[in-house]
Amino acid sequence: MPILEVRDVESGYADVQILWGASLFLEEGRITSLVGGNGVGKTTLLRTVMGLVKPQAGKVFFNGQDVSKVSAHKKAEMGLILVPEGRQLFVQMSVEENLEMGAAPARAKARYDYNLERVYEIFPRLKERRDQKASTLSGGEQQMLAVARGLMADPIVLMIDELSLGLAPVLVLGLFQSLQKLKDEGLTLLLVEQNVQMALAVSDYGFVLAHGKVDLHGPSRELSGDEHVREAYLGI
Amino acid sequence: MDILAFLVDGLLIGFVYGIAAMGLTLIWGVMNVINLSHGAIIALGMFGIYLLFSLFGVNPYIGVVLVALAGLITGMLIYAIAIHRVIDAPHLSTLLATFAVNMIIIGLGTSAFSTSPRNVDVALGSIEMGPVAFPATRAVAAVASVLVTGALYYFLYRTTLGKYIRAVTDNRAAAELMGIPSARILALSFGLGTMLAAIAGGLIATFFPFTILSGATYELKSFVICVLGGVGNPVGALVGGLILGSLEGVIPAFMPTSWVPVLEFILFVVILLVRPTGLLGRKK
Repeated sequence: MPILEVRDVESGYADVQILWGASLFLEEGRITSLVGGNGVGKTTLLRTVMGLVKPQAGKVFFNGQDVSKVSAHKKAEMGLILVPEGRQLFVQMSVEENLEMGAAPARAKARYDYNLERVYEIFPRLKERRDQKASTLSGGEQQMLAVARGLMADPIVLMIDELSLGLAPVLVLGLFQSLQKLKDEGLTLLLVEQNVQMALAVSDYGFVLAHGKVDLHGPSRELSGDEHVREAYLGI
Repeated sequence: MDILAFLVDGLLIGFVYGIAAMGLTLIWGVMNVINLSHGAIIALGMFGIYLLFSLFGVNPYIGVVLVALAGLITGMLIYAIAIHRVIDAPHLSTLLATFAVNMIIIGLGTSAFSTSPRNVDVALGSIEMGPVAFPATRAVAAVASVLVTGALYYFLYRTTLGKYIRAVTDNRAAAELMGIPSARILALSFGLGTMLAAIAGGLIATFFPFTILSGATYELKSFVICVLGGVGNPVGALVGGLILGSLEGVIPAFMPTSWVPVLEFILFVVILLVRPTGLLGRKK
């Protein structure tokens, strides 16, 4: 049974419907990617999964439980964590306070010291800057902090919206390697990316979203070999 | 009379104005709501210690502590009943919601207590320091205000719950995503804001007579102070309170007391024109 399942979700904002029956599933312990061009509804899908946007139709299941109507902070409490697009850090707070805020769920508080040490091990730069205000960090460091804050929540499923956006390729590669390590420790990951090539290269399974619906899905290696995907997204 | 005495007198009251304004500025800073029931809560704080004192003989300073607790709970209730449903609506909705709460409190208060003046008789004598003498009640109120400010800062910067308030202030959606129950944090923040108003009311009642309508005056002063200190900035509120208090102390030495509000609001308009973010406000 998938750990997270989105079934025929329709959702959007005010009068604009963006998702038209999108479905996807995440198998436990695997890196899944959700790819697609700009404006196809990837971020809306994530916001709907978390409950920041209420679905007009369809359901979201987490751990076999229907969570379609559960509020975002309760989902976080259950272990479903989103690292949102644009980082959304607490910019007036210090690096370490941001990490402390990440550990709001009760399950995360119990493992605070362990997780803090682990996060500083993965991102030593954050440890050097622990007392600095988040707003003073560079773009790359802010992205590290956003991921690190997500990890502090001790997630079962971690969803990351546009990890690679605006970052130097070297940095992105480093971040992906860190995520690979976390996967080996049992974390389930969803990477939502415009950078299709990179996302398919590091994930095990992929979904392609187009026009508010999942167009096709399959093992990432097969997708990157798929003629349609190559033509439409990889420019080959 | 010595100008120094006027100044000290005004400064002491300024501390209390400061925490009244802090309540207003806290609510604005956290949730962008201008709380028009602020003055009514200040008046409730006054009547709170008055009733505890006259009916049960509770010492007014213990009364202030009880009134603070009641203010916290009342504020959370007001948030849950009147504010939460319009929290994401345009400002006019929250203005009207808090104004409605204001009218309800004033209406009920007027029917229960009429609008005749009351006072709480606290006799602590006066304190003499060199050439200056001032009523001890004002000194106690000033010290209490400083302690309250310190406690607020400790809470916001050193406790997890306080940090949650700062996180929600900073980015409510992100806080919610991290598992912070933002609606409850907003209710708590509104409760703290009304608690500060109630404390200010209780302290003012120990040295000024008051009616159920008195809160309006202090609400206006709070607005002036918030603009002086920079909206959303608690320390700015305290500094703004001291500035306003000292003006109120010193102006009557030179001209009739009725000129005080005139000058205060001229200052208010000038600052809005020259430095709209307040004297201590962050530049945006």
